[in-house]
Amino acid sequence: MSDSEVTTEIAAEPLDGAAPETTQETEAEGTREMPPVVADQVDDEVAPFRPSIVGWLARGAVWALLAWVVFAIPGNYFSPFELGVSDVGHASKAAIFAIIGLSLNVLIGYTGTISFGHQAFVGVGAFVSAYVIVDMGLEFWLAVPIAAGVGGLQAALLGAISLRLTGLYFALVTLAYGLFAEETLFGITAFTGGEGGKNVPRPLGFENDYTFYYLCLAFLAVVLWVDWRLMRSKGGRALQALRENPRVASSYGINVKVYTMYAFIISGVFASIGGALLAQQSTFLVPETFDFELALIFILMTVVGGLRNRVGVVIGSVIFALLEEGTLVHLLHLEGILDSTIGLPAEFFGLVIGPILLLLTITRFPGGIGQQIAPLAQWLRGRRFDPHAGKVREVEVSDVRA
Amino acid sequence: MSVLEARNLSIHFGGVRALDHVTVQAGEWEIVGIIGPNGAGKTTLFNCITGFYQPSKGKIRYRGKSITRLPVHKRTALGIGRTFQNVGLVKNTTVAENLVTAQHLEANYDPWAGMLGGPSTFAEESRLAERADQLLELLDLSDVASARVADLPYGVLKRVEIATVLATDPDLLLLDEPGSGMGPEEAHALGDTLLGLRKEFGITIVMIDHHVPLVTQVSDYVYCLNFGEVLAEGKPGVVRNHPEVVRAYLGEEPDETDAPAEAASEEYV
Repeated sequence: MSDSEVTTEIAAEPLDGAAPETTQETEAEGTREMPPVVADQVDDEVAPFRPSIVGWLARGAVWALLAWVVFAIPGNYFSPFELGVSDVGHASKAAIFAIIGLSLNVLIGYTGTISFGHQAFVGVGAFVSAYVIVDMGLEFWLAVPIAAGVGGLQAALLGAISLRLTGLYFALVTLAYGLFAEETLFGITAFTGGEGGKNVPRPLGFENDYTFYYLCLAFLAVVLWVDWRLMRSKGGRALQALRENPRVASSYGINVKVYTMYAFIISGVFASIGGALLAQQSTFLVPETFDFELALIFILMTVVGGLRNRVGVVIGSVIFALLEEGTLVHLLHLEGILDSTIGLPAEFFGLVIGPILLLLTITRFPGGIGQQIAPLAQWLRGRRFDPHAGKVREVEVSDVRA
Repeated sequence: MSVLEARNLSIHFGGVRALDHVTVQAGEWEIVGIIGPNGAGKTTLFNCITGFYQPSKGKIRYRGKSITRLPVHKRTALGIGRTFQNVGLVKNTTVAENLVTAQHLEANYDPWAGMLGGPSTFAEESRLAERADQLLELLDLSDVASARVADLPYGVLKRVEIATVLATDPDLLLLDEPGSGMGPEEAHALGDTLLGLRKEFGITIVMIDHHVPLVTQVSDYVYCLNFGEVLAEGKPGVVRNHPEVVRAYLGEEPDETDAPAEAASEEYV
């Protein structure tokens, strides 16, 4: 055997140990054609599914039902739920929580950065908006953009820190920031009104709880639109890429620092809009509202709702908003069962069901509520009802970089 | 003028000298192969060229412009694209979405405008999707366009990765073991693909691979690294038969007797 032959044979072997079984014999008369790739992937595109007329009618009926639940419930139009006046306030709160949930989803879901201080994000929006309306005497319509601007700015500050610290350390910074805001920032009497709180008047035309609900709904619609467009444009895709692998993202030409800030600013703006509405919703604003428990509820509702699933996050947020004061129990007429059979007051129901839902999400259904409703959501969009749609194959909760 | 010129690159991690005065060049339209045993510093060299590592000594020039201090994303914008040894893709999305993501710099609109749903973004998005389709077709990957990256076999992903790098519109393609996980036939076909890509896009390619037949098939010039130093360089045929190179791969003197070499080669057959 000559020298050159030796080298060829040795070198033909991949040195990293991958596929050592490949032999020289097959290589000699190797075809020059690209082998076909995963042929069985092709055939499910053969006949695109079209629902029949009955199918469309059924889908239309469900859409109408959903629209009725969302739009008509606070007015008690033919409602089986018999909402009292105070319950309508909870409906607006549900819409506001949905905005906040979407805000947190941008950080935890899309960017993979956790925030334990989201009550501060929301609180800043609430107090800035209240300050602009009460102390500066400006309109609500001006207060919202101002609050959103300030909220975006403080989020950018926290984002700048996240570029330096990652993992557990950044989680601790957000925790500290939340507590600092709660204890110190919101305690400044000149800014927040201190312990005495502040009475924030609602904008003209939206004074009562019924009309205010539609205002919140309108803001939620705007946030949903922005969130949708975000994930369908280069900004959202950049966030997805840098969550999974910052190196790959930067090799695509994505400026990781700039886009991390981008995510924080979006989240801060969403949270501040939610906060500004929350200040209006409670009409009487006190610093104690924005405690750490609220931040935990925000994280719970986002994770249980299903990270990166818009509809799931909205539903999760609505559920947790309604659980907070036992509204959901009243709505479903469950207080009799709970009170007499289990002996659990309606107000505490949320405290029991919340952790259970979280455990179920983390251990069994990593896609959260979004995963559970995926078959229905697919069906409503005119596709076949597939009970396995939206199956999440890996535990997505664990991929948060924290 | 050479497209890429890395001169005297040195970098060390702790006491390990990963690169020691390494000089590598690639001319216009050239395909340059880099071979060497594991741990020779090949990927470290790529990481220096793309900007993940900052060399402690040496200069990197791209088309005459010094890029030694530029961040990664700016080098990508200049036209340096790379693939990764362990597949650099966004695994939770589909192949087609990955190609659109990779066209980040091609998307001609502001991210804020995109978020607010500016009218120009819709047209731009469909243009990007179309370009992604074209690239997938070019690399014979149209069948897997809607498949999730995490569900595909490694060999296919290596080709998807090449498609995504092409989507960044590179002038200089750095491929880190494009043939790994491929059988000899696939590797041979990959070689043809690379030659075709050079023709189609007029790009320069620098390629790390252990698959020496592939490297000799396509390369115009080959460097062999060992322990962070350039062991040999030259035309592929010359480097392949270079006694130092043979020794680096074998760990033995090749011309002592035939017996140890034969034993070693049989082991791999």
